[in-house]
Amino acid sequence: MTLEDLAFQLNTYTSESGTTFDALVGEDRILEVTCSNNDEFPINVTATDTQLLAVTPLFHVNEVVSGGVEALHEMLLRLSPAVPLSSIGLQGDTYILFGAMAKETLFENIAHELEVQAENTIDVLEVVEDFLN
Amino acid sequence: MSILKDIFTALRGGANEVGEAIVDANAVRILEQEIRDAEAAIANAKRSLTRMKATEIQLKRDVGILNVDIADYERKAMDALNANEQTLAHDVAEKIAELETDRSDKSKEQAALETEINKINAIIKAREKRIQKNKRELNKIKTVQELQRATESISNNVAATSSGDHRVSKAMERVKAKQQNWQDRMEAGEWMVNEGSDDLDARLAQKGIGGSSGGSGGAADVLARIKAKQAS
Repeated sequence: MTLEDLAFQLNTYTSESGTTFDALVGEDRILEVTCSNNDEFPINVTATDTQLLAVTPLFHVNEVVSGGVEALHEMLLRLSPAVPLSSIGLQGDTYILFGAMAKETLFENIAHELEVQAENTIDVLEVVEDFLN
Repeated sequence: MSILKDIFTALRGGANEVGEAIVDANAVRILEQEIRDAEAAIANAKRSLTRMKATEIQLKRDVGILNVDIADYERKAMDALNANEQTLAHDVAEKIAELETDRSDKSKEQAALETEINKINAIIKAREKRIQKNKRELNKIKTVQELQRATESISNNVAATSSGDHRVSKAMERVKAKQQNWQDRMEAGEWMVNEGSDDLDARLAQKGIGGSSGGSGGAADVLARIKAKQAS
């Protein structure tokens, strides 16, 4: 499935729990998806030959309270196994939540994964909020 | 050697900007070239394998035919000896010796070919494994590059560009407010449904109280009204 196909299907889809999606392919060939269950932290979706990668930028390292990075990292490591379908990572100086799927994944499962990632974003940020300015 | 260590080293070295090479571009090109070379070699090997297999099958068939011929001549030699035809038997024996030499040559050739074919099969398998491995390595590089692109995509990446005070907290408050609002509306919806079934007017109407007092009571009422007017 191409990013355009995915965008088209997402824009007309409502999940079982009522989540809707706004999806747009940018000039940089990155699909930006905003899920209605969390419209503050959109998900960037890109594709390699074999995978779809879904990335939600969470916060910049500058936003971490001074001296809190080490404690934050331990918290994130402990948190990661408890977060379904998404992983927590550091890309450059940006903390991200990301998920990877095979390119042949069924559309409903992709939509589900994106919805869960949007939810996970809220859950993770709720836990680490105390570490942020 | 795994490429993952290279990627990690590059990332630690600060290769974080979009477009900046994660791994030496040459390394990627070399990997891609290796994959192409190995694929071409496999295609070649498979072609020559087909030819060799055809020759091997032909040799096997020839040996089979020679076996039948030799058995046939052996019977004939026996018959000649039984008929006391010594000269004839000798000629047949010579023929058998000739056929046996031929058979031994072809058998040897076939065995050699079989070994060669097995060797080529093993090489193909090894090359295919190597291709798979290289493709996996390439995939790792591409995945990291795509992750980087997706993270740095400027259109929605507030996290990478702004770090205003309490940005995350404020966004979280907005999300939670929306969720609460949604929750409230859901509950209100349920309440309305419950209220509807407990409507006072509905209960009164059910008992036939105040049913037609207000609005129209249907055609029968209208007709009764008109008749009453006519009568007066």
